[in-house]
Amino acid sequence: MPAPLKVVIVGGGTSGWMSAAALVAGLPPGLCEVRLVESDEIGIVGVGEATLPQIKDFNDHIGVDEADFMRQTQATFKLGIEFVDWGFKGSSYIHPFGVHGKPLGGVPFYQYWAKARLNGRVDDLGDYSLPIVASRQNRFAFPSTDEDGLSSNFAYAYHFDAHLYARFLRGFAEARGLRRTEGRIVDVTLKPEDGHIASIRLESGEVIAGDLFIDCSGFRSMLMGQALGVGYEDWTPWLPCDRAYAVPCERAGALTPYTRSTAREAGWQWRIPLQHRTGNGYVYSSRFISDDEAAATLLANLDGKALDDPRPLRFQAGRRETSWSRNCIAIGLASGFLEPLESTSIYLIQVAITNLLKLLPGRAIDPALVSEFNRLIDVEYGRVRDFLILHYHLNGRDDAPLWRYCREMPVPDSLKSRMALFEHRGHIAKYKDGLFQPPSWLAVFVGQGLLPAGYDPLVDNVLQEHILRELDQFRADVAQTVEEMRDHGGFVADFCAAPANRPLSSRVAS
Amino acid sequence: MSRPVRNVVIVGRDAAAWLTALGLKRAFGRQGVNVTVLELPSMVRSADVLVGLPTLEGLHRLLGLDTDDMLAATAGAYALGQQFANWSQARPPFVHAYDTHGAPIHRIDFLQHWLKARSEGMNVPLEEFSLGAAAAKHGRFVVHGDATSGFSKARAGYHLDASAYIRLVRQKAIELGVQRQAGKLGEVVRSDSGIVSVSLAGGEPLAADLFVDASGVDAVLIGKVLEQPLESWSPWFGCDRVLVTSGPKLNPLPAMSRISGFKAGWIGMFPLRDRTPVVAAYDSRRISDAEMLQSASVLCGMRLGDAFVAPCEPGMRSAPWTGNCVAIGEAAVVLEPLDAASLHMIHVGLSHLITLFPVSAEAMLEAEPFNTSMQNHARNLRDFQIVHYRLNGRLDEPFWDRARETPPPPELAAKLDLFAARGAVALYDDETFQEENWASVLIGHGLIPRGYDPQVDTLAPDELIAAFQRMLGFIASTVRDMPSVEAQLELFAPLPSNASF
Amino acid sequence: MSAQRIRDIVIVGGGTAGWMAAAALAKVMGTQAYTITLVESEAIGTVGVGEATIPMITMFNNVLGIDENEFVRETNATFKLGIEFAGWRREGHSYFHPFGQFGVDMDGVNFNHYWLRWMLSGGSNDYGRFNAETEAARQRRFGRTGHGPQTSLPNINYAFQFDASLYAAYLRRFSEKRGARRIEGQIVKVDRNGQTGLIERLTLKDGQTVQGQLFIDCSGFRGLLIEETLQAGYEDWSHWLPVNRAAAVPCAKVEEPIPYTRSTAREAGWQWRIPLQHRTGNGYVFCDSFISEDEATRLLMSRLDGEAQAEPRILRFVTGRRRKSWVGNCIALGLASGFMEPLESTSIHLVQVGISKLLAMFPKGGFNPLITDRYNAEMEADYVNIRDFLIAHYKVTEREDTPFWRYCKNMDIPDSLATRLEIFRTRGEAMVVQHELFKEQSWFAVLAGQGLMPVDYHPVADLLSEDELKLRLAKIRTGIQDRVSGLPTHQAFLDSCARAPAA
Repeated sequence: MPAPLKVVIVGGGTSGWMSAAALVAGLPPGLCEVRLVESDEIGIVGVGEATLPQIKDFNDHIGVDEADFMRQTQATFKLGIEFVDWGFKGSSYIHPFGVHGKPLGGVPFYQYWAKARLNGRVDDLGDYSLPIVASRQNRFAFPSTDEDGLSSNFAYAYHFDAHLYARFLRGFAEARGLRRTEGRIVDVTLKPEDGHIASIRLESGEVIAGDLFIDCSGFRSMLMGQALGVGYEDWTPWLPCDRAYAVPCERAGALTPYTRSTAREAGWQWRIPLQHRTGNGYVYSSRFISDDEAAATLLANLDGKALDDPRPLRFQAGRRETSWSRNCIAIGLASGFLEPLESTSIYLIQVAITNLLKLLPGRAIDPALVSEFNRLIDVEYGRVRDFLILHYHLNGRDDAPLWRYCREMPVPDSLKSRMALFEHRGHIAKYKDGLFQPPSWLAVFVGQGLLPAGYDPLVDNVLQEHILRELDQFRADVAQTVEEMRDHGGFVADFCAAPANRPLSSRVAS
Repeated sequence: MSRPVRNVVIVGRDAAAWLTALGLKRAFGRQGVNVTVLELPSMVRSADVLVGLPTLEGLHRLLGLDTDDMLAATAGAYALGQQFANWSQARPPFVHAYDTHGAPIHRIDFLQHWLKARSEGMNVPLEEFSLGAAAAKHGRFVVHGDATSGFSKARAGYHLDASAYIRLVRQKAIELGVQRQAGKLGEVVRSDSGIVSVSLAGGEPLAADLFVDASGVDAVLIGKVLEQPLESWSPWFGCDRVLVTSGPKLNPLPAMSRISGFKAGWIGMFPLRDRTPVVAAYDSRRISDAEMLQSASVLCGMRLGDAFVAPCEPGMRSAPWTGNCVAIGEAAVVLEPLDAASLHMIHVGLSHLITLFPVSAEAMLEAEPFNTSMQNHARNLRDFQIVHYRLNGRLDEPFWDRARETPPPPELAAKLDLFAARGAVALYDDETFQEENWASVLIGHGLIPRGYDPQVDTLAPDELIAAFQRMLGFIASTVRDMPSVEAQLELFAPLPSNASF
Repeated sequence: MSAQRIRDIVIVGGGTAGWMAAAALAKVMGTQAYTITLVESEAIGTVGVGEATIPMITMFNNVLGIDENEFVRETNATFKLGIEFAGWRREGHSYFHPFGQFGVDMDGVNFNHYWLRWMLSGGSNDYGRFNAETEAARQRRFGRTGHGPQTSLPNINYAFQFDASLYAAYLRRFSEKRGARRIEGQIVKVDRNGQTGLIERLTLKDGQTVQGQLFIDCSGFRGLLIEETLQAGYEDWSHWLPVNRAAAVPCAKVEEPIPYTRSTAREAGWQWRIPLQHRTGNGYVFCDSFISEDEATRLLMSRLDGEAQAEPRILRFVTGRRRKSWVGNCIALGLASGFMEPLESTSIHLVQVGISKLLAMFPKGGFNPLITDRYNAEMEADYVNIRDFLIAHYKVTEREDTPFWRYCKNMDIPDSLATRLEIFRTRGEAMVVQHELFKEQSWFAVLAGQGLMPVDYHPVADLLSEDELKLRLAKIRTGIQDRVSGLPTHQAFLDSCARAPAA
């Protein structure tokens, strides 16, 4: 067997430690020699984080036990995201992990709902989604394995403390042979013949050489951006938010199995429920509101006592022009930033890692692998970006300049035609690669007020009364199934209560 | 709501017209949508054959057709794959079967393990690890059960007599209520936004909300009237003519198509149960029609009947759906009669038209996603065909040198680069063929990747060899145990018999 | 009963029956402890025509220790896979009654039930596809299987078509080599013991006498001993099987011989076609109430596929059986014991059965009526069983185009047969019991072929899923194709027999 590939990960945090864990636990032993260099001093952008269902695949692939990981990261379950005030003030919808209804005669369920609606039936599309109804009642259950059942047709993800997740993965990775070095990087040396990174030098003087370097150094992008000079593509014109304040607060009320995103005057506020406290943040555009006002807005809108001062963050929507250049792969913030509106940050890290493992090079890096990696990451970022733009663009708010701006801004043609087609006949094209699938687009379109004026003509093959019967039946089935689910708080307490927690009703120090 | 589509007029002929007619009537007839076919003179000859991928079964289900009935009526046969011979001087023939190779080992794709084993001297061709390929070579029909699950997804494609097939489809369409008028094309009246009416020579003009141009390469609406340009793909295809003829039936009946290169193109045999259709694509500048027919007889080793020739110019319209006119079949896309592409493109077009059937006669926004999908499909298929030429190994033959040296389209170039690097297949949106098909053809034509997934290096060679032997043993015993293609056809798609008892 | 030990066995009449008896006795009883004398008159002539057989004859040949290839060479034989019945159901229609199995019995239930399930749910009604012999017949192929390594491919069961007079001559050589004695001459007197009534002596025309303790009557229809001397009586079955004449003629062969017999239904009976190596045997079996001998002969001659090689001969008979085949110390075999038309090639088989039962019950000295009665009962059962099978061919027909067929279609039939037909119609089974010569497969082939299609089948056949059923059918068919495609042509196989002894 050839000598192991020397992989050096620069930076910790979620991206660094997910990469480390995957390389040591997701590959056969002996294939790679992995080192991670991080500086505790620099600080990690850790906030309460929401995720997507794909993270379970990641955890499973590297061998993480679900309950164990949840316990150690103060995690709760997530069935979707509630968007409040996005379409217009007073509106609320949930974007769930799951399909609305079930297909009839090969045609998506919502087409039948659309026709019924056009014929006068007034009801909430969300009633046909088990994760939505469960969310509203703060209930949770694992999806059943019975493929045909109503209760198998949804997925779930987690809310957790990303800082604790990183720590958890660190323990996991170090136990499997990962070598961690603490220190600040002061210099990067490139090879003259091909411009590849030869080594990094730490403040301590230690020089670390490697075959492959993974840049998890955050916004600074020490390797990809600074050392290799790869430029950044700015997406601010479409996604004007460039700052955030984050603050934890005490738990209050029932433990909700969903994230909440509330549209504000100049951005939006997140609420992420963890076992021991609630994470909050205001993502805003400095063009449309001052920092002080933003902080004040955030603090005025917590449902429990603030447990710290609000922490400021600055960022720029966009991405590194390539994610793999020469022998350096950028993962996480070093490769790009899209606000956490749809909890995509960890997903994008995961996708990069998965593709890297699939296209893992030998010591000589074949440019075809690099091209393919970049092609795939391009698709992923582009898809998420367009979906986020949709949230902003498709608003009916006239009460603040940000919203007027977003409504009037030019958007990518691909997004324009998706909206037009949906409005015309409820059609949503499926993607082969990348997020988001039609049920997600459907939730946002309908939730934010874009309703189809037409529907798939195949629907007319089914008798109207049969359609109505199916709709009624399905809605009743959903309600019935949710009734039998446990409350989310109790479920978490039984399944994965963090050891440090006392009973949920009392206060917990962070 | 704006005016719905109530009347559809299909102007065209043969498979494109009648499959579309049956499909649309079946999908929307119950709602009162009228479908009329203005049937132009047929371009199908007695020797013609239709070649279907396994997905044709899905088209039949959509159309309410029983595949066994179609096979019986068309003296049809199963094709479990396609054999390519003489595309290289040095390499042996290979089979592109409709199946995967081996099974993943430790979650890593089999091809990677095969590449590693090959680099260490193992000499077993990739196709030996495909149950579908073994079945194709032995004339066996793969019936799936617990044993094959997780190892094989072999399916059968089809050879069907074109005239009989079309006749049957037309009959079903008319039984379902499709109206038919036959004749030569008369007048087409258009407006800025599309087609207003079409008439046959000497007939009344027929208006409609939606027109389908199923007239084949004539493209009487989309090309001649709406003047949608045809993006030519000729640079990548050296053949400019196609010859079709027929030979006696082969005994035993082969269970695959056979495509053989020769000095000025390729010649294929697509056996049916009562005759063997022969199709040749060639460069008319290097060989005349008459020489081609003579060569065909020699190349196929059989006496051939009447031959029919026609030009062949691969290409596609960038907007097959323009205004209120949708082109399906060769009016939209022309490919070489290779890789079962032509019938498949009709299937794809029809299937997308049903999914995107316009809700309004006045504004057809559906055209845009339709065109995007069709373009994707067509380009991916085109690229698959180009691979045969680009990777040919017939050195110092002018036709083949030119084919090999022509730079491929960029998407294909990227695919080839990636495969050459690592044996990974990049798939784009709307691909007909999956990883295993590309792998079959690329490896078969000799594009052996330089490297492989390094994860494979950590596996014990003994374990690998044992796994390989198990797979080969499984294939051998499974194939022996499966029913023959001939038995399958005889029992479930029987031909009318004239035996005395 | 006299306790006199049996020493001298006398066979009256040659032909197939006589010489089969002589050969079997010579082989099994031997000529050390016994004498075997066969009295025949060349003058009387034997009823030799192209004859077809059924697979059981190989057992007979095996008992004699005959090399099969030698036998094939000596008797001008070809191989037989079954019988084609053309025009029996209706004109223009044809079916095949093969040897061997249909398909494979599964889950304890006969294959026919699975085939019926499939056919009744829309599958094709060609059951011949599931029989290897039928496929081989269709392709004019033949080969011996079943020796050598075990495979899962179906075996080929077969019999022979040969020149019966050559067979008789062959067996005569066989017998004489083993010490049997032939006396030529006509019998003019038969002497019986005054007390016991047992036959003791025959006197020939030239004055010779032949003594014996056991007599085998192979004298043909007249039954010189069994009937003329012992008056056993004859049971007439003409009302069920009306044919009573046969016009026979050999003709030149015009093609390579096919490996099966053909029986073609005609206006007043049926015509056989039996291909031998060097010529073809033909005959028109008819009923003189429906057609004259001249007319039948003329029609036969006009329907030959090659030039006639002899003058046509007429045979006259009455279908039926001797009420007792064994009386006293006389056992009748062959035509002396009964006659049924050669529709299912049963004549030689009945001789073989008679001989084998005789050998099994061979008396040491003295004749036990219990044994004799037992012999007669068994022979009766065999005759009746075959009779019913033959009647079915006539009764179950769609033909009504001539008076003969109208008679057959509408005639009364034995209750045993009527019951069998009705059960078959409802359940697809003929309820065959063990001793019967024709098994389920044969009844199925003929009844279904004649048009009696069952309306239902055994419920166990419904337990399989449809996919599994189709898979099994396809595999069975595949096995048959694989077997048959590996066989040489019939002619090629015959050529190979001509060269070497059988393995």
